[in-house]
Amino acid sequence: MSKPEISSRRMTSMVLRYGLAVLSVCIALSVALLLSHYNFPDVADPLFLFAIAIVVWYAGRGPAILALVLSSLANSYFFIEPLYSIVITRSDVPHLAVFILFASLLTGFATVRRRVERELLQSRDELETEVAERTQQASLLNLTHDTIFVRDMSDIITYWNRGAQELYGWTAEEAFGKRAHQLLRTVFPMPIDEIRAELLRTDRWEGELEKTKADGTQVVVASRWSLRRDLQERPVAILETNNDVTERKRTEEKIRKLNDDLEKRTAELEAINKELEAFAYTISHDLRAPLRHIAGYTELLQKNASSILDEKSHRYMMMILESAKRMGDLIDDLLAFSRIGRAETKMTMVGLEQLVKEALSEVQQETEGRNMDWKIGALPNLYGDRSMLRLALVNLVSNAVKFTRTRPQPKIEIGCADEKDGAVVVFIRDNGVGFEMKYVNKLFGVFQRLHRAEEFEGTGIGLATVQRIIHRHGGRVWAEGIVDRGATFYFSVPKP
Amino acid sequence: MMNELGRILIVEDDPKDVELTLTALEEYNLANEVVVTRDGEEALDYLYCRGNFKMRTSDNPAVMLLDLKLPKVDGLEVLQQIKSDEKLRMIPVVVLTSSREERDMVASYKLGVNAYVVKPVDFHEFVNAIKELGIFWAVINEPPPGSVRKSS
Repeated sequence: MSKPEISSRRMTSMVLRYGLAVLSVCIALSVALLLSHYNFPDVADPLFLFAIAIVVWYAGRGPAILALVLSSLANSYFFIEPLYSIVITRSDVPHLAVFILFASLLTGFATVRRRVERELLQSRDELETEVAERTQQASLLNLTHDTIFVRDMSDIITYWNRGAQELYGWTAEEAFGKRAHQLLRTVFPMPIDEIRAELLRTDRWEGELEKTKADGTQVVVASRWSLRRDLQERPVAILETNNDVTERKRTEEKIRKLNDDLEKRTAELEAINKELEAFAYTISHDLRAPLRHIAGYTELLQKNASSILDEKSHRYMMMILESAKRMGDLIDDLLAFSRIGRAETKMTMVGLEQLVKEALSEVQQETEGRNMDWKIGALPNLYGDRSMLRLALVNLVSNAVKFTRTRPQPKIEIGCADEKDGAVVVFIRDNGVGFEMKYVNKLFGVFQRLHRAEEFEGTGIGLATVQRIIHRHGGRVWAEGIVDRGATFYFSVPKP
Repeated sequence: MMNELGRILIVEDDPKDVELTLTALEEYNLANEVVVTRDGEEALDYLYCRGNFKMRTSDNPAVMLLDLKLPKVDGLEVLQQIKSDEKLRMIPVVVLTSSREERDMVASYKLGVNAYVVKPVDFHEFVNAIKELGIFWAVINEPPPGSVRKSS
């Protein structure tokens, strides 16, 4: 509504209200004159008062005062001696004063009453608006999936939304008026007094609570409490929202249990590892001593009795010495193999080319005088334990050297194959005696040998060691071979 | 230079190892100034001139060949005792053991051992090792003051 319109309406209403005042007084005057003409005297005062009352009721105080003034004038002019003059004698003053006083009183009362009525109406309107707003809010709260309910300070439920009904199975009608903690059989993680104290201090509380649904099943909820205070800051209600975290808790519990199991298992494994270590230590120390004695005394015997021993006996002695030596080698290799399982890996970037060079110089003694044909391709850097990878390469290279011994032109190729599943693949290929593919899965086993001892010496631990080293790097070993044509050994190490 | 021979103290519980060691030393005429003790306690008794060794003169051996696995007081304990004693710490100590384990090696060197030798299984190598040790420590090396020396 625009401003000129409002003011024009107010103008109209002013004209109407003051018009009513004038009109009422005129009517009262006419009626009074008419009645006095028919000899009904002394009705003027009540008639004027009646007119003023109507004006004050319908038009308010201003017009009422106008009506009062007009009435007083008309009264004094037409009905108080001397007639037809507004001059009043002294004896009439009390009459007029009482009239004015009474009219003023009437005006005053009516004004107050009107104001009270207007205020009442206004507050009724306000109340209606608020009720509408609250109803809307409540129905909005009802729409959410979250569980929301309100309880007063004595824990009586006063509001219960649809989410609460869905979670707990109680309808709003069932929940209203009940004590929340009783209805839901709430289990608190700490004394309720502490929770209340925190709520009163900070106006909120958060925590996990166990509650029970209508059907008896238990739920764990993440609960948030907010305190509502009235205008005097007195706590009046608690709004609580709940989120069902039962599933999450269950998963967490499961993970925790799995972790516990894992820890227990790790501890067990560590204990076993310690035992193995002690075992290996005993082997290293206690098995070697008798071997040394066998070898030592046999040597001494051979020396002292060489003149009286025949050739056969000499050979027997040789056999004893050889066996002792072989046993010593086996123990050493086995210990080295077990050490790889126990030792911690020290991971760094390792240049494979340098490692291959070192491996080649280590097998130099074995290749001396042989017409070796080496072909070393470009090799990458790997992320791994240097000394372990070196040992793996030495084993693979010395294997290749060993099994090409019968070849007039031994050929050994070391190179990098195509990447496989994000891992670097290295191969060592030889043209040696090879192996039958049906035995390929025996190749990497401990003490597994595919050749007779008199053909090729060895303890059968070299390739098992290689496999263990590569497995500890998260890689894989495999081999291809053709009898009498050669073998290729591959290993892969994941890229960093 | 070869006219003086330092005294060698062997600490070894295994009689066969003792015999083989002495045989090896004899072969190179290094065995005439050798004392053998059979466990850690006896070795310490010798060094401190107590128990069976009350009557001996109080000079130190030129070198001590010490096994690690010993009854009563083990080799590492003996080593620790020697290296923490003002009078004994100068004695050169060679650990002569079957153990190739890294932790034994590390522990020995941390305690201040002068050499660590793993007994070879092969007899020739064993004899060779003993010979080299005997020649180096009992003949070539100048032992610290207060060690026994004997003209050969």
